[in-house]
Amino acid sequence: MTWSEIQPLLFQGFWDTLYMVGWSALIALAGGLPLGVLLVLTDKGGMLQNAPVNKVVGAVVNVGRSLPFIILLIALIPFTRFVVGQSVGSTAAIVPLAIGAIPFFARLVETAVREVDRGLVEAVQAMGGGTPTVVFKALLPQALPSLVAGLTTTVIVLIGYSAMAGTVGGGGLGSVAVQYGYQRFETSVMLATVVALIVIVTAVQIIGDAVVRLLAAGRGGAGGDGGASRRLARLGRGRTVAVAAAVVVPLALIGYGIGQGGEDKQTLRIAASPTPHAEILEYVQKHLAAKEGLKLDVRKFNDYVVPNTATESGEVDANFFQHKPYLDDFNKKQHTDIRPVVNVELEPLGLYSKKEQSLKDIGDGDTVAVPNDSTNEGRSLHLLAKHGLIELKPGAGQEATLGDIADTNGLKFKELEAAAVPRALDDVDAAVINGNYAVDADLNPAKDALVAEQAKGNPYANFLAVKDGKQHDPRIEKLAKLLNSQQVKKFIEHKYQGAIEPVFGSVGS
Amino acid sequence: MITTKDLTKVYRTRDREVTALDGVDLHVSEGEVFGVVGQSGAGKSSLIRCVNLLERPTSGTVSVAGQELTALAGSGKRAGKELRAARGRIGMVFQHFNLLSSRSVLGNVELPLEILGYSGQERTRKARELLDLVGLADKAKAHPAQLSGGQKQRVGIARALAGDPKVLLSDEATSALDPETTRSVLQLLRDLKEQLGLTVLLITHEMDVVKAVCDSAALMKNGRITESGTVPELLATPGSELARELFPVGGVPSAPGRTVVDVTFHGATTTEPVISKLSRTYEVDISILGAAMDTVAGKQVGRMRIELPGSFEDNVVPIGFLREQGLTVDVAAVAAAARDDENTDAARGTAGLAKEGAK
Repeated sequence: MTWSEIQPLLFQGFWDTLYMVGWSALIALAGGLPLGVLLVLTDKGGMLQNAPVNKVVGAVVNVGRSLPFIILLIALIPFTRFVVGQSVGSTAAIVPLAIGAIPFFARLVETAVREVDRGLVEAVQAMGGGTPTVVFKALLPQALPSLVAGLTTTVIVLIGYSAMAGTVGGGGLGSVAVQYGYQRFETSVMLATVVALIVIVTAVQIIGDAVVRLLAAGRGGAGGDGGASRRLARLGRGRTVAVAAAVVVPLALIGYGIGQGGEDKQTLRIAASPTPHAEILEYVQKHLAAKEGLKLDVRKFNDYVVPNTATESGEVDANFFQHKPYLDDFNKKQHTDIRPVVNVELEPLGLYSKKEQSLKDIGDGDTVAVPNDSTNEGRSLHLLAKHGLIELKPGAGQEATLGDIADTNGLKFKELEAAAVPRALDDVDAAVINGNYAVDADLNPAKDALVAEQAKGNPYANFLAVKDGKQHDPRIEKLAKLLNSQQVKKFIEHKYQGAIEPVFGSVGS
Repeated sequence: MITTKDLTKVYRTRDREVTALDGVDLHVSEGEVFGVVGQSGAGKSSLIRCVNLLERPTSGTVSVAGQELTALAGSGKRAGKELRAARGRIGMVFQHFNLLSSRSVLGNVELPLEILGYSGQERTRKARELLDLVGLADKAKAHPAQLSGGQKQRVGIARALAGDPKVLLSDEATSALDPETTRSVLQLLRDLKEQLGLTVLLITHEMDVVKAVCDSAALMKNGRITESGTVPELLATPGSELARELFPVGGVPSAPGRTVVDVTFHGATTTEPVISKLSRTYEVDISILGAAMDTVAGKQVGRMRIELPGSFEDNVVPIGFLREQGLTVDVAAVAAAARDDENTDAARGTAGLAKEGAK
């Protein structure tokens, strides 16, 4: 990609990251500060010593800290929808980010407050001060430099967490790096985003350190020389600047966030996987939609669950990323009513090898990598079985697993995340790779695959899907028509060179 | 002004109990400076913290200025409103000053005034007055980190006086200071006591502090008060450990078969030529082995270790004469037979002192 293509990605990613991190850091501050103080106060020997409260708060904080962020992100979806009214997008990502950061920051607050000399607490108590006085006049002001340092650390951790926001369509630099760099092998984009992230993290650290230094210096070093008062006055100004910055920056972010809201009701919102679905939709959006009076808002997701739940809840109007077996399974397990509208394309699964030239060279003792998710793995095993590499047990369904193999013919298997399979190609004898990932890895299904799935009658064609009842929305009908147009057919054939095949028409049951 | 009755404090840990205070009865009269001395671990710190209930006594009562504080304390660990109000009327200064580094000197003195509910302007005016009182008016804008130890303690004192207290508690206030600074801080305490009519309860492990400022003193050992009284009373008490600690006199007999006597002068006797009278009256040769002279609570007080020829039995009459003159006389338990041991002890003592000095 060229710089002019990368630049808008970076810019949007940068703002999304700032927006998500800024808000979640503010919420973490508001939530973590009281929790941390409470942990100190209720601890043994504390002013509000209360073992049950201390244990419960401590346990909640520990649970919050031990959950992997990606789990939290998914687990909180219903809660997120309840709080911000949607479960996808940057705003929705703020909820899990903040909830992940609150316990983290709370522990840092606890440590910072604990460091305050107990003698100061005693002094305030001896003056007749109660617990609130001790907290607000002694503990927090004394711990302020450590608290700022803790907040800096929290913001940096949040920047790291926000890379996973792509799962719920939150965008941000991290998800740009994953989408383009990892999944699409756009090394230049990955490098650019990584550099941008390094710059942001470094800047945050420098600002945080500077504020800490200013606060510490405002308390006067040892020894007051002649220029002490002048120096103090200058430092006092510095502190004002620091505080002003601490107020203005989040406000600016909030302002930005409000500016992001508000969208046209007529715009059709579609959730899609970045490649090729979002690219096809973007082609339609750019070249065809305007003539039909259709406005599209294409939202990219790295995840296969959220686009469906968002469609079910009405946060998006349609999605385009899945095939029939996956949707049937999803509808059954999640009790959703999502219906296919029209087939668009097939990403044929292919068997690739860098070591062997043809199918018959693969046999006893060779290792084959297959995707590890239920549909892709079943699909891979069926492909291998069809070509005689393995034998499946009778009745093995579309979600066959390694356990359904009757005879491996001496093959060994390695199960990997679908997107990671192409990367493993050098380490195994052969690998079953999804069409889209194969293209991203510069493999051409038409030329490079030892064998590939047939387009005709293939149940794995990807389609446009909507919540039941929306099939006849005129906007959906227009989009369906455009997706099955000659222009799109040409676009797919030209762009993907056989890696992805246009498969149009209604979806078979 | 401060009275404790049968005060006990027991610290319970999971597997043992430590008794820090074991039935302490203390009485501090209005307007006096009362020093509690004792080694670390004797319970001094627990005692002073029980007076304003920073530590809750296990049993016993504490009254300050006619108010029984132990009755104000609620059942929980938190201090109720009344107790907090009472604490506001008791000043306290600490060994490590306990100033907030996040506030300026003025801000530190304003803190108790904020708690007492003074308005902004009133607060600043009063805090400046207090700083003026301790001689730090020019340091109002400085931060504690820019002050010397003595200046910090002056801020601590100014802060303790914010609530116009009648009672000031001093927890080893000079223990972190050098001797010169200690003297000036003690002088300030003494002056403030006179000026404001304060009653001061201080705890210390330094006898010099008692000598310099205290009207009364008590000795604490293992959570109990073993001696207590005004300084003159203590000095007049034969065998008083406090008196001996206050005015240590050294010296060992020059030869076996002699009697060593410690004589304490106080009151009018200090100006009488008692020793030369004794020498002339009984024609005895008196050697002075050691002596110490000081001013305590504005009065000259001294102790002297003298040596009389012959055994104790030979000297009953001269010793009786000294007692008649109004002196406190203790026959020192140093016999010439023990001389070698004494020497070793003295040598050890000197080595110890040298080490102290090296610190």
